[in-house]
Parts: sequence; structure tokens; C-alpha cells
Amino acid sequence: MAETRALARSDMTLLDMRGISKSYPGVQALQDADFSVRRGEIHGLVGKNGAGKSTLMGVLMGIRAADSGTIAIEGETLHHASPQIMIDAGISYVPQHINLLNTLTVAENILVGNLPKNRFGLVDWQAVNDDSQARLSRLGLKLDVRQPVEGLSVAERTMLAIAKALFNDARLIILDEPTAALSRVDIDLLFGFVRAQQEQGVAFIYISHHLEEVFEICDRVTVMRDGQIVGTRAISEINVADLIHMMVGGGVKEYGRESAAGHEVVFEVQDLSRRGAYEHVSFVLRRGEVIGISGLQGSGADELAQGLFGLERMGVGEVTIAGEVYRPGSPKSAFEAGVAYLPQDRHRYGLVQLRSVRENVTYSVLDRLVGRLGVLMRQDEQAITEEYIDKLGIVTPGPEQRTLLLSGGNQQKVVFAKLAATQPAVLILHEPSQGVDVQAKVDIFNIINDLSRQGVAIMIISSEVRELIGLCDRILVMYEGRITNEFSRAADDMLPEDILLAIEGGPGDADA
Amino acid sequence: MQTPNRHDLLEILTRHFIWVVLVFTVVVFGLTIKGYLGLANIANILITGSVLGVMVIGQSLCLMARKLDLSAEGTVSLVAVVAAWLMLPYRETDLAQAGGLGVELDPLIVIPLILALGALIGFVNGFMIMKLNMNFFIVTLAMQLVLRGLALAISEGAIMPGTPAAFNWLGGGRIAGIPVSVIATIGLYLVFGFVMSRMQFGRKVYAVGANEDAARASGFSPARTVILVYTASGFLAALAGWMLLGRLETSVPNLGIGLTLNVVAAAVIGGVSLKGGEGSIIGAFAGVLFLAMVNNALNLMNVDPLWVNAVRGLIILVALIIDAQKTRYAGRAGPSAPTRTVVGDADQNAAVS
Ligand SMILES: Nc1ncnc2c1ncn2[C@@H]1O[C@H](COP(=O)(O)OP(=O)(O)OP(=O)(O)O)[C@@H](O)[C@H]1O
Ligand SMILES: [Mg+2]
Repeated sequence: MAETRALARSDMTLLDMRGISKSYPGVQALQDADFSVRRGEIHGLVGKNGAGKSTLMGVLMGIRAADSGTIAIEGETLHHASPQIMIDAGISYVPQHINLLNTLTVAENILVGNLPKNRFGLVDWQAVNDDSQARLSRLGLKLDVRQPVEGLSVAERTMLAIAKALFNDARLIILDEPTAALSRVDIDLLFGFVRAQQEQGVAFIYISHHLEEVFEICDRVTVMRDGQIVGTRAISEINVADLIHMMVGGGVKEYGRESAAGHEVVFEVQDLSRRGAYEHVSFVLRRGEVIGISGLQGSGADELAQGLFGLERMGVGEVTIAGEVYRPGSPKSAFEAGVAYLPQDRHRYGLVQLRSVRENVTYSVLDRLVGRLGVLMRQDEQAITEEYIDKLGIVTPGPEQRTLLLSGGNQQKVVFAKLAATQPAVLILHEPSQGVDVQAKVDIFNIINDLSRQGVAIMIISSEVRELIGLCDRILVMYEGRITNEFSRAADDMLPEDILLAIEGGPGDADA
Repeated sequence: MQTPNRHDLLEILTRHFIWVVLVFTVVVFGLTIKGYLGLANIANILITGSVLGVMVIGQSLCLMARKLDLSAEGTVSLVAVVAAWLMLPYRETDLAQAGGLGVELDPLIVIPLILALGALIGFVNGFMIMKLNMNFFIVTLAMQLVLRGLALAISEGAIMPGTPAAFNWLGGGRIAGIPVSVIATIGLYLVFGFVMSRMQFGRKVYAVGANEDAARASGFSPARTVILVYTASGFLAALAGWMLLGRLETSVPNLGIGLTLNVVAAAVIGGVSLKGGEGSIIGAFAGVLFLAMVNNALNLMNVDPLWVNAVRGLIILVALIIDAQKTRYAGRAGPSAPTRTVVGDADQNAAVS
């Protein structure tokens, strides 16, 4: 393995970006950035939220116009940059939210634009399926080409997007936070695929906030901070602590969990089932307790969270909050009953992107901000917003910036702020740390701790088992719609290996 | 970083574009058309602008909620006919003139009645759209036909002249020389401007219009908000109908026909986006002023009516182009970015595949 990787790697420079600068109103997003990628290497790109990673890639792809700087590919300077020119030059971008035609089949997505026709000028579906199946097998990718893309898992979609890029003869593929919400199994699948392509000489730029993964898969890593390039290192020459130091320009604040779990049961779920989603789910949540729920995609954990918040039907069974029956018909009634929810799908449920940071942060507490006659109290609004911008380190030119102009991680912080600002009895967090940087993660964990100390009962649905172990008093594992295992701090059995095994459906104790 | 650069200027210009245009228009028309800035003409502009203005408020609310109200002009014609019908004495229809039902109700009863009727029509629109999941475009278009049909049936297609003075006060009266309609319209703009920017209701309307799912997940009720928006739109359309009938003193069954396009144009020119979640009431006001000024100038210049429509159409197209550009610029990815259908975050904009 090591040899083949070394073989595929070459010192020839594939991409060379020099002196790239780019400013937005009130933000210097990139400042004199130099960045280069060698042929066939996997090059990590890391930095705090808002450091300029996505902007740099946008400039590279010709999607954002740089104010100055040059881009050369294999020594040849490009005079224009546009997405088409870049794709022709062999560079492809796989954004975090992958754009595929979701209702069409895998085969149609692969051949879209040049579907093979038969004699009569009609689409030859047999050829479409055979051709695309053959192309995928050449890449060693096992997917049913007849199935619609919406049925694929996130990892499969990412691989399909990479495959599409390869069919366009891509030599350099940019992966922008591809693993933000992937389980370990899916990450292994994806990494295996990426390495196989690397052996064929394809280079990758790998953007991630998961530093262990950067060490696992990258050959070199470049660190950005405040729009500038801090430096590039071979992965063998650096360790995690140094990398973090380069990213944040200092040490990271620590966080330590102090359990605040009480005895009083706040939230009780009894025998809750929804067909096709989850079955016979029962658990209790005590005052100040933090529990984690983890499972593969389709294990029912996602659906459970949405059901408990009233975004979807909750199903049959009984749920009580402080002894009172809880049946949310809508998120509104969930809020009124004291349940708040941080959605996994930030774009759909989390943010109102056209509106400002201030408005987004205060949506959930609007009722508290109305003075006489429904007039909003501007100063209180301002104070809450500034408090959270400060607490979570949200990088924004100001509270009035539209949230769609923030970097991905900073958007996540805004959604988190919106919920932290409510004073719920039960807080359901769905992948709370997705897309946020190392420092912000710690800040968010500390807030979770603070909230639990104030008595909030917290439930975290996450694929990040290690994070859950650090945060939670108990961890429940879901498999095929049921809770199969329970691990707890008290029983001292929260071991990552055991939990991961349980997540994959390993031997469980169904009595949990 | 602190000094405004090219983008800041561009941003400021696109955001306040309408005001720049407005000043420019005043100067050009003022210099080229004799008597344009005379007191009488200014009053004229404002009076004709006020009916338009009232309707633009309602339409702006709908647009901000990412909806559209095509029925508003139908409401104008129906309430005008109903009001005349209830107030005027009975008389045989002849020579295309008709009288009322004969109940001769007092204007003080009729006015609240027609305002309530307008609100009810709006409520029904909103209810069908949000509770019965019907398409807003078709619902309000069909409603417009229904309302116009009713207006024609009640009036038998004839005009009903001679509405009472107490009723005409809003459309034709003056206070200290200033037209009541103008004062009322400005008052409404102040009220709704405040509601939309400083009150909970406004906040919800923008949120629902920009992202209904996220608004719901934030604990808002999109159905309630949108139904309220349509109710307000219906109410305001009825008020505009009252104002217009008061000015004309004669009910015409196809009153307000073709107004919708002007109303939407004024709102869009004023920066209210067709894509929802954006724009301000004060901006819409500027759009109304602009359109009223242009219409008035076209009149004064004796432009061939056939050309008038062409010019209006052109203005609307230009406004739409600006609307499209504005969202593109604010987009998401800088001035030279290709237009994208995805409204995304900084990561998502970069989507190419
Ligand atoms: N279209 C835009 N208009 C204004 N500011 C922008 C725009 N796009 C990006 N920015 C700003 O530029 C800076 C860099 O953003 P970028 O998206 O490149 O960060 P990032 O390193 O990808 O962060 P993350 O890890 O959170 O995704 C941020 O401060 C962001 O708010
Ligand atoms: Mg990013």
C-alpha cells in the first residue's frame, strides 16, 4: 500500500495558484494566497471556519472572480477562469451539498446530456444502463445504475459525484467537507475509493475539519488562517497539536464534561413506533442529563429526532415531558412544550439564508422579545445576537450580514445560537458539530455542558462516536429502527470499539 | 478593509437603486416637461399614485411571503360595484346606466361592510392556498375571474353614477388643501413599514417567504402567517376600491382592470423580490412614486396610448432584470458569477457539477 502510494505520487506540480486575493464587503476573504498541488497527491486544506477555504476553491473553479492573482495548470498560466475552462483542464469540484439530479437514476445522472439513442432517435435505455454500469465497474464502484439517486446514501452520492468527475477526465478533484456527516463505515468506503483513484494518478484536494482524517488520507496539508496561507507541510512532518497551532495561532481551549445528570425524569419515551422508521423505542432523559443516540443511516435515529420535534409524524406510543403527555403536531407546539431541535439539514430546516444573522438568532425567542403591541425590542435583540456572536466566535462583518454570505461552519454556529438562546427543557441536537472547526466545536461542547448544568435534558444524535463519548452520560445505539444497546459513563462501558461494533449491528443486548 | 471598495459601492447602489432612479427621474422630467413640478401636477401624481400605492402594500406583503395576489384587482371592482349597489337608489337600467338595489344604506355602514368583504376574500384565498394546498397562482387568478364575474352580474355591466359625498371623502376630499387619499396612503405606508420592519408579524412574513421549512422549524406557523398576509391584501384592495370609487364617484364594472401588472411592477421596481423574503415597504413606496411619475409624464407628453403600454411593459422588464441581477449579485458568489438556481451557502455556491 505504502509503496503504491509513493509510486503514484510525483513531485511534478499540477496546480499552482499565486498571489490570490479576494474581498467581499467588509471581509478580506483571501489575501495574497499561494497554493499548489502535485500530481496524484491527496492534499489536505484546513483552517478555521471562515478562513477562506471554500473561497479559494471557488476562485480555482472560476466561480468567484479573484481581485488579483494567477492560476497555472501544469506550468501553463490560465488567462481566464470559468467553470467550463476548469473542467476542460481536468479540475472538478464536489461540493458538500452535491448537485445530482435526484429523481433520475444513477445511469441517467452519469450519461446526462449524451444519452445513447437507437435507430429511431429514441433513448436506448438498455445501452444507457449497460454503458453506465460498465463505466462504474471500471472504477470499481458497485452501484445499481437503475436506482434513483435519492435512494443513495451520502457516501454513495459523493462517490458518484467523484465518478462523474472522472468520466470528464478529471486529474484533480476537490472534496469540500465530504465526511461532515458520515459514519465510520461510510468514511472507510469513501476513502477506499479515493485511494484507488489516487493510484490511477488522480490528485485530490481534501477539505475537512476532521483532523484525524486528514492524517489518515492526506500526503500534504495546507493551513489557512484569516484568508492567508499559513504554510504547507508533508503529513509525516507534523502532528495534530502543531497543525491545530497553525490553524488557530495558539492552543485550543479545553473542555471537560462534568456530569450534571439529576434523578428527576424530564422526558420519557415509551414504546414509540412509526412504521418504516422506528419500532418500540423507549428511553428516559433526566434533568441535566446528556444522552447520545447513534446509528447508521436508516437506523431510525434521524427519523426519531424529527418525529420527536413534530417535523414529521411521531407515530404511536407515549411520550411525556415532566409527566405530561407530549404530542407535537408541529415544531411550534414542540417549542411551546419546551422541546428545541437543531436540524441536521441546515439548508432546509436550519437557516433562513436570505435574512440576517440577527434575525436568525432571534427567531426562536421572538415571543420573549415582543414588547407592547407586538413591537420587537431592538436592543434586547441586538444584545442576544452579540452575545452569541461572541460566545461562539461567529465570523461575520456584523449582525446584519445575511447568513447566506457566511462560511458553512459559521452558518452552523448561527443555527446553534438560535437554539441555545431558547431555554428549553429538552434539547435535541442533530449532528451539532457538522462543519465547525476545532475551536468552535469546543465552544459548542462547552455550551452543551453549561445548558445541562442549568438542568436542560439533552439528546444528541450523531455519527461522531468519539465526540459522544466525551459529551454524554449515556449512549444509545439504534439499529434497524430499534434501540439495541446502551452504554453509560456510570457503568464505565463507553468504549469506542464496542459502540462502533454495536452501530454496525454487532452482538447486542436487546434488553436495553 | 474599512474603506468602501468596489463591492461596497455596488452593494449600496443595488440596494438603494430605486432612490437614485427616482431623483434622476424628477430632474429629467422637471427639466423637460413644462409644469411638471407645479403644485397642481404634483398633487395629480400623488392622487393617482395613492390607489396604486395602497394596492402595492398588499401585493408587497404577498411577494415578501413568496406568494402573489392576482385577485386584488377583482376585489377592487367587486367592492366598488357592491358599495354603489348598496348606497344608490333603485332605478331601471337604461342606456348602460344602472341604479342601486334600493336599500340606500348609509356610507358609514357600507364602508366597514366592503372592507370586511375584502378581508374575507383574502382570507378565503389564504385558506385555500395554505390549508387546502392549492397553487397560489391559480387560486388567485380564478378568484379574480369570480370577483369580476360577480361585479358584472350585479351591475348588469352598467355604470352606477352618483355615490354620496360622505363615501367620496376618502378618494376626493381634502384636508387643508391636501388630498385625503394622499394622507391616508402615506399613513398606511408608515404603519405597514413599521409592522414589517419592527414587529413580530413582519419578521415572520420575511422568514416564511425566504424559507418556509426553516420558518416552520423555528416555531412559526406558515399557514397562519400567509393567511394573515392574504387577509391584509384583500382588506387593502377593498380600501383601494373605496378610494378609487370615491374619486370617480361612479362605479364602473371593470374598474381596476389590468392594475395587477402595474402593482407588481411598482413593488418589484421598489426592490421587493419576486423570489420572496426580501424588500421593504419604504422601497415599494419609492417604486409607486416612480411609476406614478412616469405614467403622469407619458400623459403630459401626449404619448400615443399604444406606445404607453409599450413603455410600461419595458419598465416592468427592466425592473425584473434588476431583480434577477440583484439576487445574483447578493449571491451569492460575486459579480462575475454565473446565475445559479441553488440558493446556497458559501460552500454550496461553488457547486458546479
Ligand atoms: N459571497 C460572499 N459575500 C460576502 N462574504 C463572503 C462571501 N463568500 C464568503 N464570504 C466570507 O469570506 C470568508 C471566507 O469564507 P469561506 O466560505 O471561504 O470560509 P471556509 O474556510 O470555507 O469556512 P468553513 O470551514 O466554515 O466552510 C468568510 O468570512 C465569509 O463570510
Ligand atoms: Mg467552506
